[in-house]
Amino acid sequence: MAEAANKAPGRSEGQPVKGRAALWRRVLLPNQLLERPFLLMVTAFWLAIALVIWTASPWASLPGPGEVLHAFGTLWWQQGMGPELFATLKLIFHATVLTVLISMVLSYASIVAFWRPMVEAVSKLRFLGLTGLVFPFTLLAGGGYSLKVWLLTFGMSTFFVTAMAQAVLEIPREQFDYMRVLGASELRIFWEVVVRGTLDKALDTLRQNLAMGWAMITMVEGISRAEGGVGALILNQNKHFHLAEVYALLIAILGVGLLLDYLMAVVVRVVCPHVFLQRVKR
Amino acid sequence: MAAGDVLLSVHDVWQKLGDAQILQGLDFEVKDRVRPGVVTGQVVGLLGPSGVGKTRLLRLIAGLDQPDRGSVTGPDGVALPVGRVGFVFQSYPLLAHRTVLDNLCVAGEANGLSSSESRSKALALLDRFRLSERARYFPAQLSGGQRQRVAIAQQLVKQKTFLLMDEPFSGLDPAALEDVTKLIIEVANMDELNTVVLVTHDIRSALLISDTLLMLGRDRDDKGRVISGAHIQKIYDLVQMGLAWRPDLEMAPDFPAIERQVKQIFKVL
Repeated sequence: MAEAANKAPGRSEGQPVKGRAALWRRVLLPNQLLERPFLLMVTAFWLAIALVIWTASPWASLPGPGEVLHAFGTLWWQQGMGPELFATLKLIFHATVLTVLISMVLSYASIVAFWRPMVEAVSKLRFLGLTGLVFPFTLLAGGGYSLKVWLLTFGMSTFFVTAMAQAVLEIPREQFDYMRVLGASELRIFWEVVVRGTLDKALDTLRQNLAMGWAMITMVEGISRAEGGVGALILNQNKHFHLAEVYALLIAILGVGLLLDYLMAVVVRVVCPHVFLQRVKR
Repeated sequence: MAAGDVLLSVHDVWQKLGDAQILQGLDFEVKDRVRPGVVTGQVVGLLGPSGVGKTRLLRLIAGLDQPDRGSVTGPDGVALPVGRVGFVFQSYPLLAHRTVLDNLCVAGEANGLSSSESRSKALALLDRFRLSERARYFPAQLSGGQRQRVAIAQQLVKQKTFLLMDEPFSGLDPAALEDVTKLIIEVANMDELNTVVLVTHDIRSALLISDTLLMLGRDRDDKGRVISGAHIQKIYDLVQMGLAWRPDLEMAPDFPAIERQVKQIFKVL
């Protein structure tokens, strides 16, 4: 009788209750591991909250989801958002290739004492704002597309060099000694320890820099609007106070940025699978 | 080479690290041990407290550092160049971005072997060290013991006369310890001239495996304070004492006494 009283209606056993309670604990307490499906559920929960707030928003400066969706259609079909996005992607791709080339050469050069002061100097240039550099860069690059490419390249390279030079500097001395006792030449040591050994960090840094470059893109494209791009498009919509279009473009920029970030993560996973064996997921 | 020929000579070696004198007038020789009818390499145990300069000494023998004074020479009477002495570091560094098999192949190629030669040697070593199943694994996927065996195997792809091992017994469970002990003896006995110098705190293991035991330590002043600058305080010729090359050494009636004696000396080093 007592046992029957203890049994809650609708529950066949005590286990499911215990399981749910444990799950809630894992969701709410710090330093808990959570399986992917549950993690997706938590993410979906927060997305739903954000959508509810957006839909129910009383602020006139925040257009509703329907308006933004409609603006997205207008932008895509009538104002050539697709080609503009392509122009922006071309710009960021061009600047990224140049950034990687310049930054990797400089970062790897930091293992030679002669080049270290120069690498340090380039790294320090990250504190210069891009706005003040428009004029000298215009004189150097001649304006237009080249100006945008070089401004972006400069903005990304200074941060890339800083992070990568640090990664190279942090390689333990033992790693070099270990290769030396194996009998490897200094060139082989450079390749295995410096280049291959920091490739995962280089790709991670590139991923962060790509995100920074993407965040800078609207500002850079605003400097010279002749070649178009989403930056120019968003500034035009701003000028005419088309708020729904502005938000639609912001969402598009965010979406493409996240896609680029995801693709970079895939590249890191494919090129450096060993890195993921050492990472603990939370 | 004949019995008693000097394979390694460390003569009056001094070395400073910053302002601190680490090694001071270090002197010892490793000679060829000969047993009729049996290929016998040399195993030298180097005992000493933490921070006394054991790893420093290994780096000097490997040619990674140069002594401030004195000399470290090989069988030819000249300094051993970097790359001629194998060195298994305490942390077992490996190339994290390469698989176990590739790690071994890199060692072969770095020593001038062709890719195919390196690969066949690497596969044979992995088989010998019972690591064939782990050939495609990355170092991050290995246990501590497996990582250690890969690090040793890597040093053996290209046969080298000298192999230095820094704390090879640290953090091993009893089964792995026995395994590594057997492995070291096997490596030493691959060739008459092979010489393994191992640094350890593990007195028992060092006694069981070595034919020579070197005790590195610092002197003390009248008040018992440590004076900087370590040198060899005592050398045990375990062959002469009848305590080397005996599989049943642990059971020998004289073993506990010598182990106690070494422990006593170790405490005041």
